Amino acid sequence: MNLSDERRGDVLIVRPEGRIDTNTSEELERWLMSRIDGSLKRLVVDMSGIDYISSAGLRVLLMTVKKLRGSGGQLVLGGLNPSVRQIFELAGFLSIFAVEADVDRAVAKLTGAAAGA
Amino acid sequence: MDGAREGRSQEASLVRNLNSLLEVSKALGGEARLDSLLGVIVGKATEVMDAERSSLFIFDEASQTLSIRMSEDVAQGQIRIPLGVGIAGHVAKTREPLNVPDAYADPRFNPKFDRDTGFRTRSILCAPALTNTGKLIGVIQVLNKAGHAAFTPEDERLLLAFASIAGIALDRARLVEAFLEKEKIESSLRLAHDIQMGMLPKHFPQRPEIDLFATLRPAKTVGGDLYDFRLDGDRLWFVVGDVSGKGVPAALFMAVTKVLFGVSVEVESSPAAVMSRVNRALCRENEHFLFVSAFLGRLDVRTGELEYANAGHNLPYRLRGDGSVSTLPASPGLVMGVNDEFVYQTESTRLEAGDGIFLFTDGVTEAIDTQNELFSEARLEACLERVKGWSPVEIVAGALHALDDFVGEAAQFDDITALAIRYRAD
Repeated sequence: MNLSDERRGDVLIVRPEGRIDTNTSEELERWLMSRIDGSLKRLVVDMSGIDYISSAGLRVLLMTVKKLRGSGGQLVLGGLNPSVRQIFELAGFLSIFAVEADVDRAVAKLTGAAAGA
Repeated sequence: MDGAREGRSQEASLVRNLNSLLEVSKALGGEARLDSLLGVIVGKATEVMDAERSSLFIFDEASQTLSIRMSEDVAQGQIRIPLGVGIAGHVAKTREPLNVPDAYADPRFNPKFDRDTGFRTRSILCAPALTNTGKLIGVIQVLNKAGHAAFTPEDERLLLAFASIAGIALDRARLVEAFLEKEKIESSLRLAHDIQMGMLPKHFPQRPEIDLFATLRPAKTVGGDLYDFRLDGDRLWFVVGDVSGKGVPAALFMAVTKVLFGVSVEVESSPAAVMSRVNRALCRENEHFLFVSAFLGRLDVRTGELEYANAGHNLPYRLRGDGSVSTLPASPGLVMGVNDEFVYQTESTRLEAGDGIFLFTDGVTEAIDTQNELFSEARLEACLERVKGWSPVEIVAGALHALDDFVGEAAQFDDITALAIRYRAD
């Protein structure tokens, strides 16, 4: 799995690529936890490069959203492909996470800008 | 005359050095644990080199930095030095010893340590510690030759020899540490495995109207699948679940979940009410952010009435008597342990005589072959379409056989659970 960051204003975009399974989820956990430790309030995880996520991966995202919300922050997921979206749906996670079609919409959702504008 | 005396004195110091090294070798040989070894190396370096102070820097391959691990004044791990920086960094980079007669005259010397500790560094001798395959493992630095202005070329040779003994001892201690760490993980995995398997039911309930079978194949590292049955008068409760995470925390979460189901089916009247009760309890103290997906059913063995509730689990299959296969329609619900206010739904259907139900965990559908291809719902369905008239044990065996064929040599990385029930009516 590859991991990278991008900043757009006060929004941090984390971009994992590949499979988020039992082995790689620990790497993602360390990456995300090291970034939400501080004063981060707006986080987007770009899921467009992910073709599989296991329950261990869902746990990392759950932990991230709960910790972020605990400190008054927000997380939006963007760009889930249909099979990843189905995994979220099966677990009932579409009711837990804010999900947008792509990263631009996810950023817009956090910054209050009109989507597609 | 002078030459002869000098010869004798050289010989004497050679013998002294040799004896010191033998002693060092013996002392280091007795320390297989890294922590105590570091202390012994620093202490012996000061003693053998007749210096005032010594430091040991350990080289970290990943970050290409040195970190000070043991010195009289500095707490270990506080300082990270890049290759090429300072005296120790220079030695780590060149892998050659460095003799600095006057520290304050050398631009590489960093006087900060002196300022912080009140120590006054005069002379420095520094040498690389290599493994016997030539890999850099650290740097040994001794400060202030006692009674002399500087360290001699003979001291250089002595410290190099000392460092090579220390390097080999450190390398061996690292191997031991890695081995012990692995042992610790493996014994924790064995414990997780024992907890999990010990919680599974030992016997299947017996009723003439039904036939059932279930199996759980634990993965080596990931754990947390569960299944259970309970016969309550004419009604059979059954559940399949999958805890996120691995190791002992997941196994304990699985055990708690199983106990909560066992208690809840005795006090609640519907699958949704059971699910809600278990969920609330699991949300209470969940600092690891674990969660469990589960599918819970209750079958009235006289009427075939099947009620069920879903907590974010893979949808089971209904195997009709005519051989057709379809997923049991159920709303997704939500995995348990995430939201204590979530309202679960009871849904229902009626099984006809000869119908079957097949439940599983994602360890089945998400098993991968050597090309990282998923076994998938499609392959599972194809295999369930061939089980017309089969008994539950045959259905489960058939499905897992197809899975094994598909997976081939690829390692199993998640628990695999399959449960089948055939409703015979009378």
